Amino acid sequence: MTRRGPVFAPDDNAAAPARARPTARHKGGVSETAPHDSALRHVDGGAKYIDDMSEPAGCLHLALVTSEWAHARITGIDTAKALALDGVATVIAAGDIPGENDMAPVMPGEPLLPPEVAEYVGHPVAAVAAADFETARQAAKLVEVHGEPLQPVLDLDDAIAREHYLLAPIVFQRGDPGPALSEAPRRLQGGTRVGCQDHFYLETQVALAVPQEDDEMVVYSGTQHPTEVQHIVAHLLAVPHAAVQVEVRRMGGAFGGKESQASLVAGLAAVAAAKTGRPVKLRLDRDSDMLVTGKRHAFKLDWDVGFDDDGRILAVDMQLAGQCGWSVDLSPGVLSRALSHADNAYYYPHVRLTGLFCKTNTQSNTAFRGFGGPQGMLAAEAMLDAIARSLGKDPLEVRRLNLYAAPDRLLTPYHQTVEHFRIPEMIDQLVASSDYARRRAEIDRFNAGNDVIKRGLALAPVKFGISFNKPEMNQAGALVNVYTDGSVALNHGGTEMGQGVFVKVAQVVAEVFGIDLTAVRATATTTAKVPNTSPTAASSGSDLNGMAAKQAAETIRERMRAVAAEQLEADARAVTFAGNQAVAGNKTIGFGELAQACHQARVSLSSTGYYRTPKIHFDRETNRGRPFYYYAHGVAVSEVAIDTLTGEWKPLRTDILHDVGSSLNPGVDRGQIEGGFIQGLGWLTMEECVWDAEGRLLTHAPSTYKIPTARDVPRDLRIELLQNAPNEEATAFRSKAVGEPPLMLANSVWLALRDAVHACGPGGRAAALDAPATPEKILRAVEAMRP
Amino acid sequence: MTELQFTLNGSPRRVADQPAHRMTLDWLRAQGLRATKEGCAEGDCGACTVLLDRGQTRADGTPDWRAVCACILPLAQLDGCRVVTTEGLSDGQGQPHPAQTAMAEQFATQCGYCSPGFVMSLAAIATRPERDDDSLMDALAGNLCRCTGYRPILDAARSLPVTQPRPNDPALDAGQQDRRTTRLDYTAPDGGRFVAPTTLDELAALRAALPDAWLWAGGTDLGLKVTKDGAHPPTILSLDRLDALHEVRSTDDGGLVVGAAAPYADMLDRLAALAPDLASYFRRLGGAQIRNIGTVGGNLGTASPIGDSLPALIALDAGVELIGPRGRRRVAAADFVTGYRQTVMAADDLIAAIRVPPPTPGSRFAGYKIAKRVDQDISGVSGCFRIAVADDGTVAELRAAFGGVAPRPLRATGTEAFLTGKPWTRETARAARSAVLEDISPISDARGTADYRKAVAANLVERLWHDTAGQGVTRLEAL
Repeated sequence: MTRRGPVFAPDDNAAAPARARPTARHKGGVSETAPHDSALRHVDGGAKYIDDMSEPAGCLHLALVTSEWAHARITGIDTAKALALDGVATVIAAGDIPGENDMAPVMPGEPLLPPEVAEYVGHPVAAVAAADFETARQAAKLVEVHGEPLQPVLDLDDAIAREHYLLAPIVFQRGDPGPALSEAPRRLQGGTRVGCQDHFYLETQVALAVPQEDDEMVVYSGTQHPTEVQHIVAHLLAVPHAAVQVEVRRMGGAFGGKESQASLVAGLAAVAAAKTGRPVKLRLDRDSDMLVTGKRHAFKLDWDVGFDDDGRILAVDMQLAGQCGWSVDLSPGVLSRALSHADNAYYYPHVRLTGLFCKTNTQSNTAFRGFGGPQGMLAAEAMLDAIARSLGKDPLEVRRLNLYAAPDRLLTPYHQTVEHFRIPEMIDQLVASSDYARRRAEIDRFNAGNDVIKRGLALAPVKFGISFNKPEMNQAGALVNVYTDGSVALNHGGTEMGQGVFVKVAQVVAEVFGIDLTAVRATATTTAKVPNTSPTAASSGSDLNGMAAKQAAETIRERMRAVAAEQLEADARAVTFAGNQAVAGNKTIGFGELAQACHQARVSLSSTGYYRTPKIHFDRETNRGRPFYYYAHGVAVSEVAIDTLTGEWKPLRTDILHDVGSSLNPGVDRGQIEGGFIQGLGWLTMEECVWDAEGRLLTHAPSTYKIPTARDVPRDLRIELLQNAPNEEATAFRSKAVGEPPLMLANSVWLALRDAVHACGPGGRAAALDAPATPEKILRAVEAMRP
Repeated sequence: MTELQFTLNGSPRRVADQPAHRMTLDWLRAQGLRATKEGCAEGDCGACTVLLDRGQTRADGTPDWRAVCACILPLAQLDGCRVVTTEGLSDGQGQPHPAQTAMAEQFATQCGYCSPGFVMSLAAIATRPERDDDSLMDALAGNLCRCTGYRPILDAARSLPVTQPRPNDPALDAGQQDRRTTRLDYTAPDGGRFVAPTTLDELAALRAALPDAWLWAGGTDLGLKVTKDGAHPPTILSLDRLDALHEVRSTDDGGLVVGAAAPYADMLDRLAALAPDLASYFRRLGGAQIRNIGTVGGNLGTASPIGDSLPALIALDAGVELIGPRGRRRVAAADFVTGYRQTVMAADDLIAAIRVPPPTPGSRFAGYKIAKRVDQDISGVSGCFRIAVADDGTVAELRAAFGGVAPRPLRATGTEAFLTGKPWTRETARAARSAVLEDISPISDARGTADYRKAVAANLVERLWHDTAGQGVTRLEAL
């Protein structure tokens, strides 16, 4: 395809001269498909997760005592029987917290252990520490919690009806949708819903707190946000931040679930460790993890849309009611991102988006890959589907008609002007490569001739804003050390949860030094080396930490350049770094030799690096600004089939074209795209959280909560990275973030299911199919669609 | 005998200090072998997959390595076996096993937590030459990955050479083989016992002497009482060494006898010979690790309202053979479960075998499992049918059975009566709806609402019609 706009050089660093391509190129620099840095250790068992570390001598194990009530006033906790059990060291409750009893990430008011009121079934109210986990678990059953039940609000609809909100609604508005709606030639009101999704990281939440000298504490925490765990542990223990060190080498998956919610597990371990003076480990078993921790927010999405006879939208008034659970947690960010993605790729001339923070007595919903974006986007797509069906048009036509477009249809509901919008060309490319038109016709013929099995086809675009919605979070630090043998230790604030941030940032550093990737060693993330970091979230890991590490490495490289110039008797500007050496003319010096020379010359080989994202700003009073540095784009076409007798379905084919800018590592990026897509497919089809009438989560283990297996992958899956598409913004080697956006490519599967359901009736209206589209929901939608 | 003996990663091990209910996973991790992970402690995620050789050989003479979930496998059950964990995989030449290199090189790991489990399932796949995509997905259905989207793992599986998990290991020596044919009686330091008798008489005597003992077949359901509820059985009576309960054989008349303690995996081929739909139905029961350990006898014994095997057995007119102090008797599958978690069995009865008669000439079996996920999910509704249509197009004979729609799996006698003798048309299939609804009484739970279960159960009769007489594409499997 032809790309609009300028094509940038891969490295815009003014200090570095244009690199002559050396004959001997180093291995594993940027844009190479380098394997995950831990790949071999993953498969031979060498990769240690926190639960795999040898427990320090005297280590205690924690088990949780959780509320049986959805809402209750706690009147007493009787620990006598538990303490009497052999091997039990202590029981901790709210009164045992020496400092401030709060683990809230955003707004105060989320006690680590509730002093008065239990807010959901599963709410930890105490924890038992014992010599081994089995004893702790037995003892936890012996702790008697006394309470007076209070009236719970369990259901999103109930919370909306009662206006039971944690915070005041937020509104994004541009123009005046009221009059525009009443004057529109056509108007539709409708809605859809989407359920909660459990993260189901394979490694459950875990922390190991090890008391040190004086008031110091080291916490190994499975967290995406070591700095926040550090701060919360310090506040809980009433010690300075500097007394707490938090470290994480890797997590067994996180997906947002270990952003704020890791603090509970780390906090409990730290409090018990401080109380006993002994190391304490808390690893949630699967049922506890699912029962205790929050999920992706469920949403009820309702719109009122005005449009013309072609399907062009004139005005939108949309309400996005998010189920936050019992506490605020990260819901302000989630709602803000839901609203800022309720446009997806479409221009709304007049728009009002209202976000509701619904409080329910359930787990506190939290960050999950996409962070509200997927739910907002789903509203847009369902609305576009409804418009198209009401007009009897192919939804693709209506989607194209409403895409952001120059010159005067580029302003988002949050008043950011869309720049470098790649969706129209990407749709053209994918429509051609997926043979959309022919298949559309073929599927329509098939559906006309078959009344038991119906097939569906849909295209969905994804435009995802990159940057934390909160501008102050968009900063990062790194620490790079070059040793005198030329080996490099790399530290940064990014945490490794499988997404490959370690290898990608290491590739950036290898590229800067012109050395093999094998010479760069990523080390565990620790607050002791790089302080005051942001969470590894919002797809920002490689963008932020890559730039910080790049800056640190460049600082060292420039120092080394001066030494190399002396060694090679050349002008510093003529020195280049490539092929594991510094080169000037026909003279070279090996990178290790040069490092040794630097040390001899008393030149520092260590540097920090720091980066803050430029251009971004956002006013949280008016909800206007430029929250996103740039957008990542993707387009997917999916084909499915449904069984109209049972509601069972099958994915048949998916074609994806995704925009990662100039990829730092196509292998890793492809993995993010495939994995994100399948995770999204699970969210929209089979992963269903079910609570009973008392607020007990019934789906708290893989026996009842079903994530996709190998058979759920479309047998025909074709994934392409958008080629020759460097980021127009000055990101690390012009790459784009890739962690979250691909999840929403699965919207195409859900829309294809709606298309198949639509084929069961005479048309004229969209399928009444919510998400997750389980066989039960599909069958119900089929029956509602039949003439 | 107060000691367990087995071979772990090529080295002989003797264990005498563990509780009788200790699970293999917990012991491995306590030994510092921490490649094997706990992801769910219920045999549903596969992160704890290890390979087990119980001294059986395949037709080609190679050891019958089976992938199993260590989280619900009692350590005592390893006695007399060889076990391989991720740490012990080897190509014999100092390099990683091909399953490991294939996974690492093909981006089949991301977070890595599920990877050792996948590696072990791949190592099990690698021992077998026959390998199509369907069988690969069957072999991997018991392993969950949350990061990769599976495609690279499937590619890695497709690329495997045929190889053993540890090529240079000696096979089980004679001493170990002997262990498996003699009674195991392990008494733990805490007094708990794990006893594996070898004859039915021994078992009967033990049951009489130890009335609190847990009768343990595959343990894929019972194991959860230990891992999830923290229960500590005083004695586990394992059926693992009772050859009499492991027999799977075809009868002279073309029927099938399945020993109650034979794992599902051992009967799939014979089920396929009986009726193709039967094997594909049972293949959706659990993942490979569960089918390698779980048993039909256990599935019947739990008397679950869903119990996926029972609707199939009812539709096939199978019999359940019981052994008790008063001798052997046979109960029709349809009569075996009498109510919610209740069976016809007396406290001292034992399920010995399932007897499946040969299919009546001209009849066809069809089994449907309706669940949120195709693989390794417990049915919301299951429906199994055996139907014979007469030359005049009427229903000559029908057996219909449902699971998940009543306190017990049941034979839908009203549905059978309604349809028998009627013309087998789409209209009659649809008209059977009210009869089906009379037969069943579903409730709502995490797997589906009562309304959905009613709708699907009724529609399954029409689904059956399409599968026996319909035109065009009538099944998702055809696409």
